[in-house]
Amino acid sequence: MDFKAILASSAKSFLTRKFQFALAALAFVAVLPIFVRSEYIIGNVFTVMAIFALYASSWNLLAYSGQGSLGHAAFLGIGAFASALLAARLGVPPIIGLFVGSLLSAGIGLFVGLACVRLKAWFLAMVTFGFSIIIVTIIGQFDSIFGGMIGFPTVTFVPEGLPFYYGTLAIVALSILAIFLVMKSKWGLAFKAIRENELEAKMIGINTAKYRLLAFVISTFFAGLAGGLLVESQLFIQLDIFKVDNSFLPLIMAVIGGLGTLEGPIIGAIIIVSIESFMPLAYPYLQPLSPFFPGVSNVGPPLKFVGLGIFLILVVIFLPKGITSLISKLYDYLKEGETRKGDKIEGN
Amino acid sequence: MITPLITPSGLIQALIWGVATGCIYILLATGLNLIFGVMKLVNFAHGQLLMVGAFVAYQITTTFGLNPYASIIVSMGIVAFIGILLEKFAFRKIRGTEKLNEIFISLGLIYVFQNVAALLWVENYNIRIPSPFSSLSFSFGEVALSYDRILAIVIVIVILVGLVLLTKKTKIGLAMRATSQKSDAAMLMGIDINRVYVFTFAVGAALAGAAGAIYGILFPFNPTIGALPTIKAFAIIILGGLGSIPGAVAGGLLYGIAENTTGYLSNGTWQDAVAFALLIAVLVIRPTGLFGEKGE
Repeated sequence: MDFKAILASSAKSFLTRKFQFALAALAFVAVLPIFVRSEYIIGNVFTVMAIFALYASSWNLLAYSGQGSLGHAAFLGIGAFASALLAARLGVPPIIGLFVGSLLSAGIGLFVGLACVRLKAWFLAMVTFGFSIIIVTIIGQFDSIFGGMIGFPTVTFVPEGLPFYYGTLAIVALSILAIFLVMKSKWGLAFKAIRENELEAKMIGINTAKYRLLAFVISTFFAGLAGGLLVESQLFIQLDIFKVDNSFLPLIMAVIGGLGTLEGPIIGAIIIVSIESFMPLAYPYLQPLSPFFPGVSNVGPPLKFVGLGIFLILVVIFLPKGITSLISKLYDYLKEGETRKGDKIEGN
Repeated sequence: MITPLITPSGLIQALIWGVATGCIYILLATGLNLIFGVMKLVNFAHGQLLMVGAFVAYQITTTFGLNPYASIIVSMGIVAFIGILLEKFAFRKIRGTEKLNEIFISLGLIYVFQNVAALLWVENYNIRIPSPFSSLSFSFGEVALSYDRILAIVIVIVILVGLVLLTKKTKIGLAMRATSQKSDAAMLMGIDINRVYVFTFAVGAALAGAAGAIYGILFPFNPTIGALPTIKAFAIIILGGLGSIPGAVAGGLLYGIAENTTGYLSNGTWQDAVAFALLIAVLVIRPTGLFGEKGE
C-alpha cells in the first residue's frame, strides 16, 4: 500500500486554506448547540444533516470513479438493518454493530461491484436501481426478522440528545476525512483517470477493474455506516429506509453541492436537509394556491418536489460544478478585490 | 391470504395477458430505443411520459366524452409536444457533456412530472380511463379475452407498422438512420442534426404517450406508475439488443409473458423482483444484451 504517499500528500494538504476552513467549520458545528437550544432541531435537523453529508459523500466517492449508482438506498438499508438487528436483538454494543453493519454493506457492495465492473453509465444505474428493488423485496419476505412495514426500535451507541449529536459528528468527520484522504491519494487519482477515460486509464497501466471495485467497496462501507447512524438517530427502523427517495437524495445533494469535490456533498446535504426540515413551515402560506391544483389536499409537498426537480435540472445545465463553484468564484473575486486594494495602497 | 388455484386455463390466460402487457412495454421500449439509437441518449424519465400520456387520455375522455381509443391520438400529440420541449430546453443543453448528466436531468424530470401530475390530477389513489368495451370479452372455454386487450394489441401493431414505414420510407427516416450511424458524417452531408434530434425525441415521446393511454385503459394508474415501466423497457432493450425494433418486439413479448406468468405463479409477490433479476443476470453475463451486437 502506498501509505507513505497518502501521508505525504495529506501532510501537504493539512496546511492549505481549505483545511483551515474545514477546522473552522467543525468548530462551528461543535459550538452550534450553545446557540440553538431546541433539542428537536439538533436531533432532527443538524444530526440528520451530518449523517446525510456522510451518505452523500459516499455516493460522491463512487461518482468520483465515474460510477453513478441509483440504488445506494440498498446499502444504506443493509448497514442500517444489520447494525440495528445486532444491537437491538442480539445485544451487541451498538458501536460495534455500526461497524459490522458497514462491513456487511461493503461486502455486499463488493459483489454488486463485481457484477457491475463491466457496466457503464445507465447500465450501471439500472442494475444498482434493480438491486435496491430486489433487496427490499427479499427483506419484505421476512417480516418476523426485519419487522416489515412496522419496524422495530433501535439502540443508540451513545445516549440520545447532545451526546449522540457529538458522537455522530465525530464519526462523520473522521469518515469524511478518510474519504478526503482516499480522493487525494494515488487511488483517488486512479478513480479520476477512470472517470475521465476508462480506455486511456487502462492503457497507461491502471487496473481499472480493481480500482472500480475499490471505489464501490469504500463507498458502500460509508453508505452502510450512514444507514446505521440514520436509524439510530431516529430511534427506529422500518422497511421504508429502502425507499427510492433515499437512493436519489445523495445524488441530488452531491450534484447540487458540486460533484467530485469534497465540500460539495456536505453543502448539498445542508441545503437539502434544510429544505426538507423547514419547508413544512411554509406550507400554510402555499395553501391559497390549492384551488389551482385539484389533485391534492396539501399542495406543499408536491410543490416542494417540483421545485427540487427544477432546481436540480437548472444546476446541471447552468452550474455543472454545483453551488461550490459559485462559492469559490466569489472567493476568487473577493481575493482579487483585496489584492487590487493592496496594490493601490502600495502605490500610494 | 387465499391462494388462487393454478390451472392450465389460468396459465393460458396469464400468457395472453402477458402479450397485451408486453405490447405496452414494446411501445415504450421502441421509443426509448429510437431515442437511444439516434441520439445516444437515455431518458430515464421516459416512463413518466407514459404516465403523463395516461392522464392526458383520461382528461380528454372524461371532459369531452371522447372514445378512449380516439384519445390515444390526442395523447400522442400532447406528449410529443412535451418531448420537443424536453429536447430543446433540457437535453440539448447537456449534449456532449458527461453521460452522468443525462441521469441527473432525467431524475429532475421524474420529480417534476410525478408531482405536477399529483397536483393536477390525483395524488395517491388509482384512477382508470373508462372504456366502453370494459364489460365485453371473447371467451374460449375458461379463457376470457377482453375486447380492450385485443384492441390494444391491434393498435400497437398498427403503430409499429407506421413507425417502420416512417424510418424506412420517408426522407426524415433516412436522415434519422444516417444520424444514428454517424452523426458527424450526417451533418457533413447536410442533415440538420438538431431537427433530426427534435423529431426523434418527439416520435419517441409520442410512442410513450400512446403506451400511456393504452396503459390507462387496461390498468388503474396514479402519478407514480412511470418508474417501473422505464426499467422494464430498459430490460427489454437489453434483451432485444440496442437499436433494433424487431429485437424490442421480441424482448417485449418475452418480458410481458415472463412477468405475467411469474406474477400468476407467485401470487404477484415476485413479479417485479424477478424482472430485475432477469435484467441483472443478462447484463452481468452479456453486457451487450442477448441479441445485441455491440453495446456502449
